Parts: sequence; structure tokens; C-alpha cells
Amino acid sequence: MKKLLLILAAAATLQAQKFYPDDPLLAEPPPRDAGKPARRKLSDWYDLFWHILATPGEKQPKIGPPIRARNVNTLGDPMDGAWYVRRHYWRRMTIEELRRGAGGAAPPVLPWTVVAAKGEGITPGFTVIDATKRRFFIKLDPISNPEMMTAAEVISARFFHALGYHVADEYIVEFHPKDLRIQDRLTFVNQHGIERPFTPRNLTELLLKAPRLPGGRYRAVASLALEGRPLGPFRWFGTRADDPNDTIPHEHRRELRAAHVFFAWLSHDDSRAINTLDTLVTRGGKTHIRHHLLDFGSTLGSGSDKPNSPRSGAYHFSWRESAVQMASLGFVIPYWAKARYPRFPSIGLFEWQVFDPEKWLPEYPNPALLNRLPDDEFWAAKQVMHFTDEEIRAIVRTGSLSDPAAEDYLVRCLIERRNKIGRACFRKVLPIDRFELRGGELVFEDLAARHGLPSPAPYKISWRDFDNATETPGASLGGGPRIPAAASPYIMAEITAPRRPGQAVRVWLHQGRVVGVEYAW
Amino acid sequence: MKTLTARPARWLRFVALAAPVALLAQEPTREALIEKEREQKAARLRPERVSKWEERIRLVNEKRIPQRLSYGYNGLRAKAGGMITQGGFGIGPEYFREDLLGGRLESQISYQISTRAYQRGVLRLRSRNLAGGRIETEMLSMHHYYPKIQYYGPGPDSQKSLRSNFLLEDNSLDFSLGLSPARGLLLGPSAGFLWINTGPGRDSRFISADALYSPEQVPGIDRQTNFRRYGAFLRFNTLDNAEGPRAGGFYLFQFNRYDDRRYSAYGFHLYEADLRQYVPFFNQRRVIALRARTLLTDTDAGETVPFYLQPWLGGSDDLRGFRPFRFRDRNSLLFNAEYRWEIFAGLDMALFADAGKVFPRRGQLNFSRLEKSGGFGFRANVRNRTFLRLDFAFSREGFQAWFKFNDIFPSRPLGASSTQPYQ
Repeated sequence: MKKLLLILAAAATLQAQKFYPDDPLLAEPPPRDAGKPARRKLSDWYDLFWHILATPGEKQPKIGPPIRARNVNTLGDPMDGAWYVRRHYWRRMTIEELRRGAGGAAPPVLPWTVVAAKGEGITPGFTVIDATKRRFFIKLDPISNPEMMTAAEVISARFFHALGYHVADEYIVEFHPKDLRIQDRLTFVNQHGIERPFTPRNLTELLLKAPRLPGGRYRAVASLALEGRPLGPFRWFGTRADDPNDTIPHEHRRELRAAHVFFAWLSHDDSRAINTLDTLVTRGGKTHIRHHLLDFGSTLGSGSDKPNSPRSGAYHFSWRESAVQMASLGFVIPYWAKARYPRFPSIGLFEWQVFDPEKWLPEYPNPALLNRLPDDEFWAAKQVMHFTDEEIRAIVRTGSLSDPAAEDYLVRCLIERRNKIGRACFRKVLPIDRFELRGGELVFEDLAARHGLPSPAPYKISWRDFDNATETPGASLGGGPRIPAAASPYIMAEITAPRRPGQAVRVWLHQGRVVGVEYAW
Repeated sequence: MKTLTARPARWLRFVALAAPVALLAQEPTREALIEKEREQKAARLRPERVSKWEERIRLVNEKRIPQRLSYGYNGLRAKAGGMITQGGFGIGPEYFREDLLGGRLESQISYQISTRAYQRGVLRLRSRNLAGGRIETEMLSMHHYYPKIQYYGPGPDSQKSLRSNFLLEDNSLDFSLGLSPARGLLLGPSAGFLWINTGPGRDSRFISADALYSPEQVPGIDRQTNFRRYGAFLRFNTLDNAEGPRAGGFYLFQFNRYDDRRYSAYGFHLYEADLRQYVPFFNQRRVIALRARTLLTDTDAGETVPFYLQPWLGGSDDLRGFRPFRFRDRNSLLFNAEYRWEIFAGLDMALFADAGKVFPRRGQLNFSRLEKSGGFGFRANVRNRTFLRLDFAFSREGFQAWFKFNDIFPSRPLGASSTQPYQ
């Protein structure tokens, strides 16, 4: 019996090794065929109250080691695939690529045929088929804030694309009502919930809610329909039960946890499931589900149909904050309430002076965002800091803001908020990355120093053998940047900084290349 | 028969020996591990489902059930609530259309009966977007049957213990025309007719007013009349949002003349000033709301103001620490102040103070002998519209709790009909 247990233990050990020969995987293995999953719709209201009152998903344990992101390769990056593609940080995109976003080369061609329209809500919108038979979703600005929603949508879509997410191909467009045809027998549901024929008069009434440009033209954002069959939004926790490739609970996905930092940067506080979409994509006769972020009209100070709420950066509801406000008779002023906003109708309520990335919260408790750890935040912050001022300005220009002062202000906001994010997140782990072996030495980049932020340098490197099978460090191999000779195939460098006790980065080398990186705090 | 389960030790030994050998033969990879996880997931795939509750809520929203119920069938729907204070819960049919004449005419016809046998009928026709919104016209006809209105006697010194009640039944027809020469400014004339009948109160718990008070004390209690009324109004409105304002001002001045068409004894002039100001700070998450309102009457020789048309104070919208209709006289003065702060998105709290009085002579328009009340409350709002208000108020006469579906300073119609005490 003892022999049997030893054999089982050996087998188990063999399975539990830290690195595999193909590490680090940069892309997910080809997806399994997803078959024909059905569309699943969510209730926005249910989702809202569920998250506010119960916050589903597996949470970080209150005691014991935290649950690190589980969908990353051994370098700590999500693999290219259905959720994410490593883009700007890993290979600096050109200004032109940043400006193009997810497509950017094929705006809708007039005339358009209106094939669907919404009769409720304040923000007007409809769906068209353009002259090249492509389907676009058209949304217009609220009459009180020309350019606000359309600019926010297009600018943020480009940022999120550069940050690696799957997003729609968006364009700022102009059209004249004469360029619109209405599909035969088109109906719509009016604001009273009654289905009615959609007539030219309805179209006129719909356009009356939008600001009109000289010459009777209208400005809008046109979003190209995503590739594949829509399956409904993804949730920010759990997995899709009908997707064989969706094996990691969403609240433990790095790109979803780290989205908190991106959302804070761009003031994307409406981080509900409703602003995501899964589509069933077919490749080589096989189907798989791709996951997208959608609807960025409520970003950058816009609230889609009005300027964003001054509450931006705070939950709609939290027990603690509500109790504080009740007990204090309102004399405890939340930080966000102290913000001062210049009057730019094309921007809404966006600022940087009061913005605090450590305090910023979306509108409701998002399970993935809540689970973020310092390494998730660093992973996001290094990407945010990677955008240069020039690149930010180039992307903001895609919003076609007609007021240069508004454009300047928006750029300034994004730069200042970016820097605040860098300062906040680079404090929590050692801000070093881009490890490589050069001239027999381990070299890396100090991102804090590179971006002009307080750096914990100097750094200290100590080397140890590493037993891959048992995942345990072995004998000390000395210190310094030079790679020591080792008996085992894996060695581990532990980088520390005396100024930041408790923080460390472990880098694993195998066969002359970096195979693993892990941040400790 | 020998089975694997009958010989577990041998079977396990075989698997344990074979597994490492197999693994050694094919070195495991990360990709294989991921693929294995997917394989395991694929073996337990099931359709994505949402809970029954979520599905129901989604369908209610997707099929726009609230909107359909609200709009009804081609504008025919049930109207609930909106009855006068202490009138009980009113419900009845309503026909509401806002798309008549190509959206230029709004119509409302409703009739409600309440749990306390109150009745209220409304016929309203209102123009929309005439001359680019520079002209507003309205025809409003109302019927009230309020059998149990409370009455505590005339004057500021009336006693809480002398509670009586009376029946009020009236019909009215009014027209108003509003011109907007500048943004926020609306002014114009209005005119109409009012037919009134009063009678013994039907609330058996309290004595009827006509049994307790003489016609000398309470003019108009013994005989009914009808009125022709006409006047003018001027309103300047800079509120940021009419249904849940947080900034701006609302200033209304009205004059109306009531002509007694039967006895020439109950005619009077009515002057009204209603001033509201909202002072926001901290991004409108803190608001100080102020209101000052006075109603002054004046009569020609031989005339008096009938008690049922006299201004009153007390209740959910003015002196909140007092019972509804607690004070009544020929003139009234009211001050409200609220400090509101946001608890969370959709709920504000408020600390408030009210002061006011009724008085027989206009010369008593001053700050002396004001009745005071104060308290706290909650205001629930959706999309900046206050839809629920809960106030707890205290005064020298005790405690009052109010559960209302309007803002403390509700929006109100203009013109002669708006000066009628019972709406």
C-alpha cells in the first residue's frame, strides 16, 4: 500500500509542476467548437440590484493567500484569444493604428436604409443598412450636449481597442435626413410600449431630439455590427455554461479585474453586463464565442443622454456610505462632490483634480473589478502609462470635437488622470517589467523611472535554484544582475528594493529565456 | 464474476502505475492542460439560463409592461392617486392623449372615486408647442365631491379640539392663455366659472361645521353661490428640472377676481405670490430649498370671502407639523426651508422648517405669531424626478407623518383655477 501511495504522489507531483515546456503561452490554444449556443438575455434591473445587494461571484478570501488572476500565462499576461489581444503595450501601435481602432477604414456609405428604430428613451438612435449592405447602429447626441456622447463613444472605443479588448468599429458620421430611407413595413415600439408603423414623421420626431448641424445635417456615431451572431452580454462573474472554452470564472480573469483601472481612467462607471456582448464567431467551420466591451457613450464625462452624474466615481448605493451620510446629516462630503467642472457641453462632467484612482468606483459593485489585486492593477497601469501625450491627443482627435478648448481640456484630463494612475498603482508593486537576458545579465525596465514617477531603485537581485517539479526555490546562487551557473534547468531571480520592503518580483529563467514573472507585495 | 469494483486494490494499482508512464511518454504541456480543462467543461455543457425572477423582470421591461399600463389602451387607462389630502386612495378611468392634432393638443379626461367616497373629475385640453413653445393655452374643467373636509374654525387661534367637517361640491370651467416673450417667462390672462355647493360633513366621527359655527362666524356656510373669476398671472421659471429641481428659481405672481354671481356678497380679490429658490452646492448633492408664499384677499364694500375659498395652512405641503386644513382665514403667509443631502443615488434626506400663519387683515402681514414646525424626511427620485416623499414633522400640536408622491413644492397649474384651495 505504501508503494502505491508513493507512486500516486509521484504522479501527482508530475502534474503540479510550475512550468511546462511551451510556457509562456502567448496565445490561447485554438478554441474548441462551441456548437450552437442560444442567445441569453439578461435583465438590466435584476443585474443592477443583484450586484448592489448581493455581489455574486467568488470573492477574494478575507484571510489567507489571495486568488491571483487565473487566466494568465507564466509572464502574467492574458493570452491572445476570445477575450483579449495584447496590443499597444507589447508592440507600440502607430498613431494611425491608434486612430483607426478596431477598423477605422470603412465608414458607412450613404444612403442608409433604416431597418430598426427605438421610440423610447431620450437618446435617439436607429439601425441602418448602408449602401454596401453593412449593418450599423446609429446613435445621436442629446440636444443639450452636442458632440458629447458621440465623441466619448468613438474615443473610448479606440482606447479600449488599444488596451486589448474586442470592441466595435466606430465612426463619427454626418448625414442629412434625405440620406435616409425607411425599410418597407418597418415598425417600432413607441414610448408607450405600443407597436406602430415607423413613418417619416417618426423619423423627424426622433431627429428633433438631436442637435442639428448647419445645412440640416446631423452628427452621429455609427457602430458596425459585430462579427458573428449576438448571444447576449457576458456576466462579470462565473462562466458561460454553454461555452467549452470559458473555463476561468470571469471574476478571476486578469483583463476583467484590471479593467477597473481602465474604467477609472476613462470614467467608464457604467460597468454593467449590459455594456458587453458575446458573439458566436465562425472560423474554419468551427464556432467559438468572442467577448466584447460595448457602448462607451457613458464615458469621459458623458452620461449618454446627459452629462455624467457628479456621483461618477461612487457606487449608486453602499450600506456604509449611506449610513455615513445619514448619520452625518450630509456634513461628510464625499470626495467626488468637491469636483469642479468647467463648462464644456461637448464633454460633460470630467475632471482630474479631484479624481483619485484609489477611491474611484463604478456605479455598482462589479465582482471582477472588486477582485483585483495589486498585480492586476500594475498590469493595467503600465498599459495606461504607455500612452504618450501625443498618442492620447491623437485618439482624442478622433472624437472630432469642434471646440479646440474642449479638446485640449479632455487631453489634459486624460494625461493627468493617467499620471495619477501611474503614481497610485506603481506604488503597490515594484514597477519593473520587460525582463530580458542581455549579455549574460538579467535586465528590466523601471517603469516608474521611465515615466518620471518616484522609483524605488536601486534594486537588488538574488538568485536561487528552482525545482520546477516541486515549485520550490533551492540553493542560493548569489546576487547581482549576472546570471549564475546553476545545476537545475530552472533558476529564479528575486528582485527587491530596500525602499519597498515586502515587495518583490520573481523572474524565472529556463534555457536562456525568461519563462515566468510574478509580483509579490 | 470478478469486477473492477470487487478488486479495487488491483485496479488502482494498475491505474497508478500506468498514469505516470503515460505522462512520461508524452510530456505534458500548458496547452494540453488548457485543452483538458476545456474537455472537462465540454462534458458538462448546458444551455445558459437565467433565474426565473430575472427572466420575469426582463420580460416586464422588454415588453414595456409599465409603459403599457401607464398608457393603457389607446390612451384609456386607470388613474390612481392624486386625491386631495385625507381624501383616501382614489382610482378611476382616464383617457389621456398627447398626440392629438399631430402632437399639438394634449387631452385628459378622468374620473376617480376614493376609498373615502371622494370624487374628482377632470377634463383638460392643453396646447403643446404652439408658436415654438411661446404660447400655451389650456381649458380645464373640474368636478369635486369632497364630503369630509376638515374644518377647525376661522382664524389663527382656532382650536385643534374643535374639529368639524363639511361637504364641498363644485364644478369649474377655466381658460388660460400664456405667452412667453422670453425664456422662462410666462404671463397671460385666465378666466372661468365656479359653481359651489357646501353641506353637512359626512364624517360621522366629527360634528358637521354648520352645526358648530354660525354664518356670521363662517361666511358662506349657509348658502351656496357661483362665481365668475378672472385674472392674470406672471411666472418666471429658471428651474433646472421641473419635477425634481436642484437649482434655479420659480417666481409666480397672480391676481384673480371672484365675482359672486348670485348674491353679490361673496366676491373678493385674491393676490398670490409664490417664490421658490433652490441653492445647490457640492455639485448639487446638497441643496437648500426655500419657499415663501402668501395669499391675500381683499373685498369690496358689502363683500366677504366665503370660508371654503379662504386660504388654509396645515398638511403635507406647507405646515407639515399640523393636521391638514388646520388653519384658515382670509390671508395666509408661509415659509418653508429645506436642507437636502444625497444619501445615495436616488434618495435624498431633508431637514426642514416651516413657519406660517393665517390672518384676517392684510395689515397683519408680518413675522409675528408664526406657527412653526420642523422635521426630517426622505425624497426618492428617479431620473431627477421626485416620486416619493416621506416627511416626519413636529409642532406644538404633535407629530405628523406624510407619505406623498410629489415634491414638497409641487409644480402647479396657472390661472384662476390654481387659486382654488381644493384641487
